[in-house]
Parts: sequence; C-alpha cells; structure tokens
Amino acid sequence: MRKSDNKITTCYTSMECNSCKTIKKRKFTDGDIVFSTSENCSDCDGKMMITKIFGVTMD
Amino acid sequence: MDFNFDEFLAWVGEDIDTLMMLIWILPVIIFVFYGQRIQLLISSNEIKKDIGKLEEYTISTKKEFLNYVKNNLTSKTDPSKKLDSFFDYFTIMPVDMDPNGIITKINHLIRSREDFIRLQINGMFSDLSSVELSKLQNLLEIVTTLQLFYKHTRHLYLTAKKQKNFPLILPLQMMIPFIMEEAVALKDAMPAIKNGQPIGDGIGPMIVGQMMLGTTKESAAFETVWSKTTFEDRELFLLKAEGPNATVGRPGDGLEKIISIKKPDLVIMIDASLKLEGEDSASIAKGFGAAIGGIGTERFKIEEIATKNKIPILALVVKQSIHEAITLMTEEIADSAKTVKDELYQMIRENTTSGQSVLVIGVGNTIGVSQ
Repeated sequence: MRKSDNKITTCYTSMECNSCKTIKKRKFTDGDIVFSTSENCSDCDGKMMITKIFGVTMD
Repeated sequence: MDFNFDEFLAWVGEDIDTLMMLIWILPVIIFVFYGQRIQLLISSNEIKKDIGKLEEYTISTKKEFLNYVKNNLTSKTDPSKKLDSFFDYFTIMPVDMDPNGIITKINHLIRSREDFIRLQINGMFSDLSSVELSKLQNLLEIVTTLQLFYKHTRHLYLTAKKQKNFPLILPLQMMIPFIMEEAVALKDAMPAIKNGQPIGDGIGPMIVGQMMLGTTKESAAFETVWSKTTFEDRELFLLKAEGPNATVGRPGDGLEKIISIKKPDLVIMIDASLKLEGEDSASIAKGFGAAIGGIGTERFKIEEIATKNKIPILALVVKQSIHEAITLMTEEIADSAKTVKDELYQMIRENTTSGQSVLVIGVGNTIGVSQ
C-alpha cells in the first residue's frame, strides 16, 4: 500500500484454479509473479495460477 | 512650500481629466519599461515551485534506491559511493551532421552503456539474480532521469534569471507541465519496480506470455524468449522479453533469429501506447507499422528486416497515460488483455490464410510477468 498526493494504491493478486476455475483475489505478497503457480486451491486442491497483478487507487 | 490639501482638492475638482490621465498613464509607463520583468517574475515563481518539486523527487528517489540496496542486497563494501557516481553518468549522442549509419552508432552506444552498468552492478553485489539486476538497472535509470530533469530545468531557469532574458523562460514555461507529468510518473514507478510488480507497459508481454504457457520457450536474443504454437491451422511464433525480469528484451534481434528459422507471413506487435487527451484508458486501437517505443533503434531494425523480407507489420495497442504506463498496472489495463487477445485472433483470421505463419511480438517491460 502506498500514498501519492493523498491517493492510496493497493496492489492485489488475482488467481484462477487450473481445475475448478475458481477465481480468488488477495493482497499482493512478495514473490507473486503473473502466470506462476504457487498456491493450492482451497476448494478442489488444484493449482492456483496468478492471472493478474494490479493496483487499485483510492482518494 | 507648504502643501495645502484643500487647495489640491479644489484643483482636482476643477480639472478631474488631468488626474485621470495621470492615473492611466502611470501603469502604461511602468508596463512599457518593466512589463517583461514583471512577467518574468510571475512566470519564474511558478517554475521555481516546480524545480523545487523536481529536486524533492530526485532526493527522495535517490534515498529510496539506496535504502532498497542496503536492505535487500549483500555487498562486501558500502555501495552508496559507487552508486552515487552512476547518477551523474551521461551519454554523448553520435554526431548527426552526416546521419548515414547513425542508428548503428546509437545502438552500439546504448548497448555499451547498458553492458557497462550491468557489469558494474553485478560486480558490486554477491549472489545477484538476473531479476534483481534488471530491477536495479531500472531503478538507477529512474533516479538518473529525474536528476537530469532537475539539473536541466534549473540550468534554463537560472540562466534566464541571471541574464534577465524573458524569451528564454518561455519554452521552459511551455515544457514544464510535460516534464512534471513525466517526473511524477517516474517517482511513482519506484515502488512497483522495487516489488517486482507488473507495470502498464507490460500488457503486451502479459498477453503473449499467456499464449506461451505450456509451450517450449527458447532464447531468441539477450533477455528475449520465443516459442511456437498453432492457431486455426496457422503456425504462431511468439516473442517477448524474458520475464519476470524488468526488461524490454531485444525484439529486433529476436525477429532476426526467427526469420533465420522461418519467414513469417505476418508480424503483429502488441504494445502499450500513450493515449491522447480525451481518449479512454485501456481502450484498444489497431493500426499498421512497428508498435515499439524507445530511442528508435529496435523499431528501425524491425522495420528494416520486415521491409527486406516484404512482411507486413500490424499493430495492436492498449492506450494509457505516461503515469499508467510506468506505474503499477491498473485493473482496467489488466482486464483489457482478454479483449486484445480476441482482437489479435480476429486480426490473424482476417489477414492470413490456413497454413500461413504469424509472428506475434509482445512489446514492453515484462517486470512481474513470466511466460
């Protein structure tokens, strides 16, 4: 999370399960890379692939 | 002689026109002789404020960079002094009186500079990964550019002030909003680069990177990878910078390599493009020609190879502001990837026939995006 001219940008990581296609979003953590598979799906135990990393800016 | 206020009022009352004339003529005289100086004062105050901001950005990014190095990398000696000397490095562009062959010279100069910086940084730290090395190069580039902006703006401002030269401050007054826009973007780019997060410019490599998933990736050139896949009976060659490094790779050299394997019938380049005022962020545009920014050497190489081999080049761009292009990718831009991919496939269908081959190049900085 960072501040710039009274705007706060938070970075999120969006992941999709390779098996059940569940989409999950969480805050970015160090080491997250788009198209890497690091976590297991909590629903089906399949592999979650990071599909996008993006910032959301709020005033 | 004593001044009698009552007499003065009586005189004014009799000759009000004379007084009005005096009131009007005084500012005219002031503006005739001092108008330029007054204008210089007003303009220079605004510029001075912006120069102050530029100085602040330079100092804060420099501090941020050195703190990042100290906290994340291991070095035998204190790297601050050596890194500090890099901030003042300059590049002398080749003579352009005879422009023949200037691109080769610029290319050589830029690559020599990159190689030198890479070698120097690599020698300073132990166990430096290629990702970390590329991040450091990008961070160094940000600080150096901000310092350059600050020094040049200050030079023009002080020269104009010293010589009381109003015309000299006019171009600076016109340029300063653009300089500030870029400076703010550069300052805000620091956190994304430090954390290895994708930036707006990475949309091209992100789309091609997704298409590369599950294929065998090979090196095409320095920090550049390629792979092969198929789409509706067409052979697709995919080319992008090697992620998740903070690099744009060398797509020109990559194209040369692919041509030596098989000549594609069409080249499609996907890149981020600066939006015009009034245009929407993340809007998509299609066009002709090599969609690639930078100093121009890569574009020259791609255009030359394509012309020699008579290969048409199509472009697919995602519009964004300078701030969006070099800072953390916005959700809007990330979400445009699906639409761009659909447009790309449509472009391939419309411009090639079954059995033909297409080279798709994802242009841009691939930080935080693998393949």
